[in-house]
Amino acid sequence: MTTQHGQRLAEALETCRPVPPAKPNILKALLAVQSALGHVPTSGIPQIAQALGVTDAQVAGVLSYYSDLRTQSPGRHLIRVCMGESCTANHGGRVFRAIQEHVRVAVGDTTPEGRFTVEQMSCAGNCAVSPTVMIDEDLCGRVTPSDVPSLLKPYR
Amino acid sequence: MKTMRCYLANDTSSRAAGAGRLADAWSERPEIQLIRTSSRGAFFLEPMVERDTPDGREVWFNVAPDDLPRIVGGVGGTPVAGIPFLQQQTRFTFANFGITEPLALDEYQTRGGLKGLTAAQGLSPEAMIEELRISRLRGRGGAAFPVWEKWQVAHQTGSEQKYVVANADEGDAGTYCDRMIMEGDPFRLIEGMMICARAIGATRGYIYCRYEYPAAARAMRFAIQKAREADLLDCDDYPFDLEVVVGAGSYVCGEETALLESLEGRRGVVLAKPACPAESGLYGKPTIVSNVLTFATIPNILANGGAWHASLGTEGSRGTMALQLGGRVKQPGLVEIPFGLTLRRVLDQFGGGMAPGSRFKAVQVGGPLGSLFPESQLDIPICYDAFAEAGAILGHGGIVVYDDETDMVELARHFMAFTADESCGKCTPCRVGSVRGREILERIQAGGGTAESLDLLKDLGETMKATSLCALGGRTPYPVLTAIKHFPNEFKSKLSAFSRQQ
Repeated sequence: MTTQHGQRLAEALETCRPVPPAKPNILKALLAVQSALGHVPTSGIPQIAQALGVTDAQVAGVLSYYSDLRTQSPGRHLIRVCMGESCTANHGGRVFRAIQEHVRVAVGDTTPEGRFTVEQMSCAGNCAVSPTVMIDEDLCGRVTPSDVPSLLKPYR
Repeated sequence: MKTMRCYLANDTSSRAAGAGRLADAWSERPEIQLIRTSSRGAFFLEPMVERDTPDGREVWFNVAPDDLPRIVGGVGGTPVAGIPFLQQQTRFTFANFGITEPLALDEYQTRGGLKGLTAAQGLSPEAMIEELRISRLRGRGGAAFPVWEKWQVAHQTGSEQKYVVANADEGDAGTYCDRMIMEGDPFRLIEGMMICARAIGATRGYIYCRYEYPAAARAMRFAIQKAREADLLDCDDYPFDLEVVVGAGSYVCGEETALLESLEGRRGVVLAKPACPAESGLYGKPTIVSNVLTFATIPNILANGGAWHASLGTEGSRGTMALQLGGRVKQPGLVEIPFGLTLRRVLDQFGGGMAPGSRFKAVQVGGPLGSLFPESQLDIPICYDAFAEAGAILGHGGIVVYDDETDMVELARHFMAFTADESCGKCTPCRVGSVRGREILERIQAGGGTAESLDLLKDLGETMKATSLCALGGRTPYPVLTAIKHFPNEFKSKLSAFSRQQ
């Protein structure tokens, strides 16, 4: 963790310190840290635990439980391909393969230049206009494999 | 030049279908003023653009940026009232959709909003609970528990602090009606929660929204702020406040005990009951946890009376259900109708049959834990009793249609893999069973399965059904076993030659 990271972590934790009688909320704190830093560094666990007045193990337990809490920052753009039933029924698997071929990276990995991280998601709730690809916070519907190059182009 | 008011939906799915592109393309055009509404839920027609006429709104479907001159010129539009997909529905909970601006509290009120709350203000908690009992409303999240019974328990349990929690962790694949409500008519959810709070004596509410719905969380926060500024939340000296809490990508947090664990900031692990949250829930206090759609149904019940609600639907399933069509149907979208229509009629009448070029193979009702139905079983009426009798669930109303290109073995593997990923790990049947189930199906996929593999899978499924702690492990076998039951040849043809000769 860099000094700059450490400072931003401390700032993020300031807003999460429990004020009695409120109890510490580990998940909320970790989401706040992730929002500030882009991820939750495992090296920051002791500092987070201390700020909340809980054990390191409790923080580590929550951090490892939730799939949307990250211990490493994703690439500049996060591509999430929906693998929910409606997208699957509408052959979203083909879209996923087209994306993988285009960016050439395995699920969960980031491209060497740090541009894209590719992940799968269970359901984006966009079932009526599936197949769905989520890039950062933008949701794209009715995606076909041939759309993939133009879809990704604006995300540099 | 005269500026024309046009209406364009601003919910996530309409934007994903191109509504955002239209808004960007037309942002500088002086001839129109775009009003961003909720979506009518006829997503196969989105992006739709509407304009006012003396005879009601007129609409253009699947609009592209170049269509603007046609719309301004009034060429080629059709009356909204002439869309069969919408006309044949019975919209109560979704009555405002496509019409209002989601965050305009005055529009919500103009169209009958807050009437339920006003009615509740004139009733004692007991009388409110009695209305709910008469309405025979059952929870819409999946468990279909009678709502009034929970309220009764929470009301009767003495405590200095009680809570109301909306379960907005809409994780069932194929469902999106909670997202629509939060993005499209957020004050309805707030009103429903306020009524519940008064009935049980709660002063604090939480909306637990899944991480995948950032726009819904934003809309709810904005609506809560507006309600607070309008002195709506704690009107007539009843203190009440609401907060949106965002989860972090755990499917099982839709289960109420896991949800409450997560709300307290811990790992979202399912707890062994005996105590129900209505007695001992959030921080050990009486808590009503209900699905977003359930809360959104309540304002109309208070405004129109419990008997009105009970007059709709079938014997065991009163009121309307929000069905969400997806997959390979021609017309995917939201369908609100009274319970009782058959699955076949829903798929034909609203779904419009299959997407062009595809043939029906199976339909799954109730999300990733719902059973598969082949063509021969589509005449089942959509209601809790008929589904329970068939060993199926209505769940949260998701309906996903698969075409004949679907590989059933791969689909079964997908369901087991989903649970293996999402199991909270508390109970062994789910934690270990789902992994073993996935492995067996992977073996069959790879050509290494034998007849014993299928027997083992069935045995494993029955064990998971009987012994899992919650519905995740307990229901995972249903889509897998119904796939094997209805499409046995697909599984058998993949078994190894050695075993087939035996």
